[in-house]
Amino acid sequence: MHKESAIREPLILGHKTYHDITEDVCRSIEGKAPRNWYIMFGIALLVGLYGVGCILYLLGVGIGTWGLNKTVEWAWDITNFVWWVGIGHAGTLISAVLMLFRQKWRMAINRSAEAMTIFAVFMAGMFPLIHMGRLWVGYWVLPLPNQFGSLWVNFNSPLLWDVFAISTYLSVSFVFWYIGLIPDFATIRDRAKSPVAIKAYGLMSFGWSGRAKHWNRFEIVTLVLAGLATPLVFSVHSIVSFDFATSVIPGWHTTIFPPYFVAGAVFSGFAMVQTLLLVLRKAMKLEAYIHTKHVEYMNIVIMVTGSIVGVAYLTELFMSWYSGVEYEAYAFLNRATGPYWWAYTCMMSANVLSPQFMWFKKLRRSLLFTFFISIIVNIGMWFERFVIIVTSIHQDYLPSSWSMFYPTWVDIGVYVGTIGLFFVFYMAYVRYFPVLAISEVKTILKSSGESYKNGSAELHHSDDAHTAEEE
Amino acid sequence: MGTNRKYWKGLDELHQTPEFLENSKNEFPEELSVNEFLADEKLAEGSTGRRDFLKFLGFSVAAATLAACEAPVVKAVPYVVKPENVTPGMPTWYASTYYDGTSYASVLVKTREGRPIFIKGNKDFGVTHGTVNPRISASVLSLYDSERLQNPTIEGVKSSWGAFDSKVSKGLNETASNGKKIVLLSGTEISPSTQGIIQEFKTKFGGSTEIPKNEIALDENGEAIESETTVEEGNVVHIQYDTISFNGIRQANLESFGKAIIPDYDFSKAKTIVSVGADFMNSWLLSGQYTAQYALGRNPDAKWMNKHFHFESNMSISGSNADVRGMIKPSQQGEVLSILHKEIVGSALAGVANTLSENVVAKVKEAAKELKAQKGHSLLVCGSNEKAMQVVVNSINSALNNYTTTINLNNPVNLFQSQDDKMSELIKDMNAGNVGAIIMWNTNPVYSHANGESFKAGLEKVKLTVDISQYADETATNCKYVAAENHALESWNDFNPKMSHYAISQPTIRPLFETRSAAESLMTWAGISEYSGKDSTAYYDYMKVMWEKYGFPNQTKYATFKAYWDNTVHNSCDNEKSPVALAMPFNGNLNSAAKQIASIKGGDLEIIPYLKSSIGDGKMAGNPWLQEMPDAITKVTWDNYVTMSPVDMKASGYSEELGQESPSSVVTVTVGETTFKLPVFPQPGQTPGTVGIALGYGRGENGEKIGKSAYQTGEYGAFLEGNNGGKVSIGANAFPFLQAGDFAIGTISNANEVYNLACTQTHSTVMGRNSIVKETTLDIYKTQDAGAYNHQHTLHSGWNHDEKPISEFNLWDEHPVENVGHRWGMSIDLNSCIGCGSCLISCQAENNVPVVGKDEVRRGREMHWLRIDRYYASDIEPAVGTKGEGYKTEGFAGLQDASDDPMVVHMPMMCHHCNHAPCETVCPVAATTHSNEGLNMMAYNRCIGTRYCGNNCPYKVRRFNWFNYPSYRKFTEVNPAQDDLGRMVLNPDVVVRTRGVMEKCSFCVQKLQSTKLVAKKEQRAIVDGEISTACSEVCPTNAITVGDWNDTESKVRKSTTDKRAYQALEEIGIKPNVWYKVKVRNEKNDDLAALQVSHEAPAEHKDDTHGEESTGEEIHTGH
Repeated sequence: MHKESAIREPLILGHKTYHDITEDVCRSIEGKAPRNWYIMFGIALLVGLYGVGCILYLLGVGIGTWGLNKTVEWAWDITNFVWWVGIGHAGTLISAVLMLFRQKWRMAINRSAEAMTIFAVFMAGMFPLIHMGRLWVGYWVLPLPNQFGSLWVNFNSPLLWDVFAISTYLSVSFVFWYIGLIPDFATIRDRAKSPVAIKAYGLMSFGWSGRAKHWNRFEIVTLVLAGLATPLVFSVHSIVSFDFATSVIPGWHTTIFPPYFVAGAVFSGFAMVQTLLLVLRKAMKLEAYIHTKHVEYMNIVIMVTGSIVGVAYLTELFMSWYSGVEYEAYAFLNRATGPYWWAYTCMMSANVLSPQFMWFKKLRRSLLFTFFISIIVNIGMWFERFVIIVTSIHQDYLPSSWSMFYPTWVDIGVYVGTIGLFFVFYMAYVRYFPVLAISEVKTILKSSGESYKNGSAELHHSDDAHTAEEE
Repeated sequence: MGTNRKYWKGLDELHQTPEFLENSKNEFPEELSVNEFLADEKLAEGSTGRRDFLKFLGFSVAAATLAACEAPVVKAVPYVVKPENVTPGMPTWYASTYYDGTSYASVLVKTREGRPIFIKGNKDFGVTHGTVNPRISASVLSLYDSERLQNPTIEGVKSSWGAFDSKVSKGLNETASNGKKIVLLSGTEISPSTQGIIQEFKTKFGGSTEIPKNEIALDENGEAIESETTVEEGNVVHIQYDTISFNGIRQANLESFGKAIIPDYDFSKAKTIVSVGADFMNSWLLSGQYTAQYALGRNPDAKWMNKHFHFESNMSISGSNADVRGMIKPSQQGEVLSILHKEIVGSALAGVANTLSENVVAKVKEAAKELKAQKGHSLLVCGSNEKAMQVVVNSINSALNNYTTTINLNNPVNLFQSQDDKMSELIKDMNAGNVGAIIMWNTNPVYSHANGESFKAGLEKVKLTVDISQYADETATNCKYVAAENHALESWNDFNPKMSHYAISQPTIRPLFETRSAAESLMTWAGISEYSGKDSTAYYDYMKVMWEKYGFPNQTKYATFKAYWDNTVHNSCDNEKSPVALAMPFNGNLNSAAKQIASIKGGDLEIIPYLKSSIGDGKMAGNPWLQEMPDAITKVTWDNYVTMSPVDMKASGYSEELGQESPSSVVTVTVGETTFKLPVFPQPGQTPGTVGIALGYGRGENGEKIGKSAYQTGEYGAFLEGNNGGKVSIGANAFPFLQAGDFAIGTISNANEVYNLACTQTHSTVMGRNSIVKETTLDIYKTQDAGAYNHQHTLHSGWNHDEKPISEFNLWDEHPVENVGHRWGMSIDLNSCIGCGSCLISCQAENNVPVVGKDEVRRGREMHWLRIDRYYASDIEPAVGTKGEGYKTEGFAGLQDASDDPMVVHMPMMCHHCNHAPCETVCPVAATTHSNEGLNMMAYNRCIGTRYCGNNCPYKVRRFNWFNYPSYRKFTEVNPAQDDLGRMVLNPDVVVRTRGVMEKCSFCVQKLQSTKLVAKKEQRAIVDGEISTACSEVCPTNAITVGDWNDTESKVRKSTTDKRAYQALEEIGIKPNVWYKVKVRNEKNDDLAALQVSHEAPAEHKDDTHGEESTGEEIHTGH
């Protein structure tokens, strides 16, 4: 078995046995949901339904119900799209990249992070659809054989690349996530009492029997998928950034975008994971599995990626001056000091300054502070996309066309609605899915569990070893 | 199933005899594709037998029957009997004439399937040289206004013509027999035939025996005019009254030269033009003619280019095009004239003070110097309606010997014969109860007279009030009898706009409603003829007789009257043979003029009513195209406002911000008794201490039916509800201000309210962006190389860092269009464009561009395919689009705000049809692609509406259909395409776009295609000049040239290889098919010279300006 240095902080606190892990995770699925869950779910559902209503109104009347105009033809729609895609970045990074690097601390968070990814990508994917003027012919972006003769899609268009990138990412992430869920579903199935649950989890676990051959295949598939998903982590947001980078608009047309967008995405993804897990661990009493050390690790990622993003911001500013292109120079000056200076300030302070607090060990280990910063980062990253999209096009080449963008209630409704929908999915997931990867966490119990590391587990050694094998 | 048996018709076929072969060839003598089909050898081997054929037939019939069951109902009425001259799908053009009391033009009307849908100027005939203003272009839409009067009405109740006529005739007879006065009131009536009718009318009801002023007969010297003196007043009088009076000029000429006339001006001969407040390109007299003439003198490559000085208070279209513009108060016009008089004639005007700023005085003195330098080839005009001012102007023009060249006293203009004094008398008479009957046409004094209120009060005291009107407008609703009038496109008429010129207008459609022309109504009441319904030819016959009697004998070109008449109708007129201009001794009384000018008192706040090119005097306030047309200067749509100097606004604390959510401050304007509230607009170039208010607004304040677009609509498209529950009219009526003369003195106070203006352009400077607008002076242009004012962008490439022009770099493969076949190109001369906006309206008419209403325009969603960007220079720009010295210290901040006294550039902007179009590469579904003729095309059907193309367009010319404009409720009141009648103006060659798709300028591809077809049918190549777009057709200054760029001899090719030609934003590498030409101002501009001349010298450049690199001057290094 893998041995871990004693001075390394344990990843599972307290005295936990294999059985405890199963119990801790399954408790919420098997027990009754607390009142708070219903309240939260209810709120999320209401907000989500309001969002759906706004979308229906939008589809019924036209894109004009948004605040867009002849100059700013994308604003909140694509901002929200990129924001959600960015959020959806942490999951695959955690599950794939960290897995390849054998970072065991990921095991506590990967399930939820992946779930978050999938739901976020759902939300993200909706925006490119509803932002179309004619959604009902939106399937024309797919290279389908058609009756229109040789009418084909335009492979030069970054929007088309988006279609492929997002759909690939969504499907790989989903498969990855689901494969990991199979053994855990089997555990729940085996423990379930109600016939409906037995049937449902039985179906979802695909007849998992826990045989060595199953485990072997499971491991191989996981590894292969991790290998497949890793490049996707970089490709998706690179391609999203191409939407801007390949254009001719100053402020969009920037070669730095792909790495900068990826860093930003990881940054915002981790922030969202923090936001969600800090609540989750408390609500579901998983403090032993997701604790300060995990939060600290993630804070370090946030700090590093936040700094990368900061360097990117400064590089852009430098290049706009150094390039000597007057439109470029003006675009960035306008970004920082023009009518949208407040958005830029918001972005700068939230994304560049706030993560710097994480240099202080005390702060990055403070859960309350982390929660606060994670919210700030989420807001900051929304503003980053808003700043890139809106401030670049609202004053571009011809001053005669310069304009401002003002959101309407439909803009706001759709955005808030997606947050609602996201939580509808997430709350349902929390209720019915194992939020921790049971089987994976068990593999690190003995190497990284607190009681095993400091020896206190020896007292109960025989019992635990026994139960664990039975599990 | 099949069989390979062969059958033959006879033995001939079997044996393939030579006769048979011959006959079979001749069966289809033309080479039809059927032949090829039948010649296919494999056909004979086909396996489809008779049985199969019948099976297929049966199946297809069944399938077709099934499909037919669900066929949509198509509302189309086929021509059962095809009318002569109407070929479905082919336009028919008619030459006609437009005259509405203020605008006059010879026009061509395009009809499709019997519907007039487009109006452009007639370039071959007429005095207006093919110019039209936006109102003339847009008038075709008013024809299809469903709010027009559709029947005659008596006291607002629908009536029949029979009943109506008998009542009116009875009333007239009674009035005449009672000896009461019958007044005929109209706008200036320049129709000789109508004047004949008026004469007969007078005779019938006991009028004077006046010989018509514009009698057709004209002798060699044009002396016929003298006959007007023999007037004998009867109880029928005809009074002419115009909304805008130019009576001052007539009076001044009477005093100066003994003729109460408006002379004919020729701007094309004037090398120096000085205008003191005369907006001669927009609203002053025959502005269409002057615009065309002015443009002829603006070619910097010609021997001379005119120099235009302009002294005014509001920023007008003419002023914005001036080489030198001075800001004066209207009360200072006399002072300017006084200095000019002193410098040119030698004597100053006694008693006229000089309160002008040094800056202006210097400009006036320079103007005087230039006028003198071009003695005999110069022109001074003045917009004032004060006789005294015009006397001084006459004196100066006399001293300059201009009366033999630029001013022709022998060819008087018959327009604008407003009898202001008689009108005032009439109002008194009416109120005194002395008028028994009044018949009005082509006039709306209740609205447009300065004293409209008392006119209205007077009307109540008149027993018989008849208005011949197209609308139940302000005057008509106060009249008992309203005779529904034809739209001009439904009637015959003739015109005599100038003494030497006669023209005809012909109907292009049968009257849509139960209406008839004013002349026909007068004829009926005068008992000349009986009205016989819509197809009555009474007036036509009358006209013909008049022309046969007077016109035909006075010409020698045609032998028979028929030939003469047919040709005149076909051409709408004959070209003018202008009498020779002869100077006359100036007899004006300068002393009394000086005295009168000295008595003009200015005030702290002088209010100047002016005319916009879009709304004019408000006749077509109900026309949505005109309401939505951005004003040429302010770019505000759908509104009336107070234009104020930004300096004054700052001092008063009014909001200078423009934008969707930046409402303007509202002020209360008070002049004497009149007050109203209007938003205030920051107008650079407005003289501090003055404000401008456009006329033509505030129509239908009592909810009259004058067209839906005259009223304000709210955010969801419904009409706003006023205090009294009715509709709210747009803006306020400034006509009462005209009571005081040229300007009114009043006060303005903050109403502490805000109001949203809908502006299509909210940023007014070009930020020193040299690759968008290029400007230079005539001096530099003549003496320097093109590099000085039109430097090419270059890039370094290769190991040796060789400089190459940007055009040699290609990110993409070149389109094959660049050397093969056609490549449509356009060149726009910024030096000629005056910003009038005619192109914008004609584009809207040609391409079915929807009207979206004020709220949508405010949100930046106007749909115009063509717009005119208007840029002001900032304080640190020596010319628009240059960064002066100040840029080094102030940077971009210094470029943000327009100068208080700016130079102006008008820049038409539409799709540039880039050969490397950024919009094309980003469309995921290839809905916008490049044609093999260089066009960037939109396949509306394919568009899914991602709007990526719009974002990626550097010119921001793509327009997205945010809503379903042809059916969404928000646009019901504004978009004519939502009205069954309004839809008739749609051009059937252009599809109406649905919601969710992108649209943009197509270079009028439908016109290109039809021109190609015509050429193809005639088996010839397209001739240069044959190609036109809607915008190029109507441009009064011919600023827009289109054609085949691959034709190296074409005008457009030559124009684009000119040293003034450049492509906007060339450095992006998008290779547009639109070129602009550098604007050349005929002025002295040392700052600009320092910049452009030094810029050219490479050595100096390295030392001085290269330091700017960091601030973004140079990716280009071309000098």
